[in-house]
Amino acid sequence: MTRRMRAYYRRSLLYWIALLPLIVITLFPFAVMLSTALKPRDEIFAFPPRWLPSHLAWQNFSEMWTQSDFGTALANTVYVSVLSVLLTLLIGTPAAYALFRFQFRGRGAFRIYLLITQMVSPIVLVLGLFRVFVQLGWIDTESPLIITYAAFNAAFTVVMLQSYFSTIPLELEEAAWIDGASRLRTIFSIFLPLARPAVAVTAIVILVNVWNEFVIALTLLRSSANYTLQLKVFTLASSLYEVEWHHTMAAVLVATVPIAIVFVWLQRYLISGMGAGALK
Amino acid sequence: MTASLPLLMILPSLLLTAVIIGFPIVVLGWTSFHRVSKFGQLLSFNGLANYLEVLADPVFLSSLERTLVWTIGVTVPTIVCSLPLALMLNDNFVGRGLARAIVLLPWSVSLTMTAVAWRWALNGRAGLFNATLMELGLMHEPIEWLGTATMAFPIEILIGILVSIPFTTTMLLGGLASIPRSLHEAGRMDGGSAWQLFRHITLPLLRPFVNIAVVLNVIYVFNSFPIIWVMTEGGPANGTDILVTYLYKLAFRFGQLGKASVISLLMFVALLGFTALYVSLQNRNTQDAAGGIA
Repeated sequence: MTRRMRAYYRRSLLYWIALLPLIVITLFPFAVMLSTALKPRDEIFAFPPRWLPSHLAWQNFSEMWTQSDFGTALANTVYVSVLSVLLTLLIGTPAAYALFRFQFRGRGAFRIYLLITQMVSPIVLVLGLFRVFVQLGWIDTESPLIITYAAFNAAFTVVMLQSYFSTIPLELEEAAWIDGASRLRTIFSIFLPLARPAVAVTAIVILVNVWNEFVIALTLLRSSANYTLQLKVFTLASSLYEVEWHHTMAAVLVATVPIAIVFVWLQRYLISGMGAGALK
Repeated sequence: MTASLPLLMILPSLLLTAVIIGFPIVVLGWTSFHRVSKFGQLLSFNGLANYLEVLADPVFLSSLERTLVWTIGVTVPTIVCSLPLALMLNDNFVGRGLARAIVLLPWSVSLTMTAVAWRWALNGRAGLFNATLMELGLMHEPIEWLGTATMAFPIEILIGILVSIPFTTTMLLGGLASIPRSLHEAGRMDGGSAWQLFRHITLPLLRPFVNIAVVLNVIYVFNSFPIIWVMTEGGPANGTDILVTYLYKLAFRFGQLGKASVISLLMFVALLGFTALYVSLQNRNTQDAAGGIA
């Protein structure tokens, strides 16, 4: 083995040792979810608690699904998430294109305005929003959630798209203009196909944001038939009666795993995107 | 046509954010100057009475103080942990992809779900946290971690740090990726040690990213609601309340909408301040970058 290789392996070992505490504490809640979700009901409150169940109680998942009406919450979340993503992209993509290709009056002011909307968090406005939607008689439906999510994700979407757009060369569009294509036509036939990967990554980030949102849903939704996944899990865990923790943890897993897989796949795009986005 | 095209393109986002983000601020402002019934009707104009009441409210003051502890207590350790973490994850080693995936994993789980899992894990009798510590011989009696505010609040801060690390590390990794390799190679040619390279090349070039990570963390943590709400709802006895949880209780539990509006507005003003700080940092970064090239 060369000296270089030895140094590489020694460094790897040192790094993993240094990372170990963080990895243990990061994976700990996931281990708790798995262990509890697979325990038979009578072992949940056994003392002292044990990590391994006597047998794997897979029926926890099916019981949880039917008893808590989980399918409805999942469908609500998918519905809200998909429509929010579409609406956000619909308003965000043209704005990002305008900021990136045009010099126009008010461009700087619009950027500052977007930044402010990005920094305001829903919790600060939730009472005001609630009052607005009560006046409109629009409480306890999914629609106000969708437009609220679109508004709160708009600024971030514009910034992120813009930083990706800057890698798309202008020449192709210019060539099309010279050939007599209109500006709008060029956008649809030349620019948007090239921008598709950027739009896809941005869409997934919005999806994760919306999927995981809590406080707006907590405030605007009343009846459990309209609950999103976050609200469903929160109610399971704050039941007035004894909390069915094996069901709750099963619900957490089912609600989390799909989004976690998407996220791990996404992370390499995030690293380069945020590096660029943060300084632009 | 061409002159109005960009304006048409920004119009939808401008309108939607104005209605959903701008208008509620106006509503909050209007509400804050009124006496409000429990059911939300504005009763009469009462000037600054709500403001004075908030400023004299001991729970508001203790929540404000706790918000400062919470924000600084989460942000500072998050940055201190994320910096070496990003340096390691940026370096080549066996299994780096796996390590990155594990470290970033908590980001994908919502704060609500994370807090629910931890609340159960920290359960005094049946929680696996106590069980593990006892099995390892680190303690003999189970502890009711969330039973008292003096115990629960530091734990909530620790969980806040854990969930902030992935985002912060990602930002810093983005920053490290933007440093040209040639700089380190040149430094090494000149005989610089690893520490010197870090001190004189990596750190100065990373500083803008660290600054921005600090400001963004301050904003996110200052506003963070789910961890404390799910784990203790600000209790016991308001002992873990920060501004956002107290504001939520005032608005949706106690029906004190006037006071809740005032706190919302004060937080909005604080956020404007943070945003101004962020803008000035960004401007400085752009200037630095320009200076670096010149």
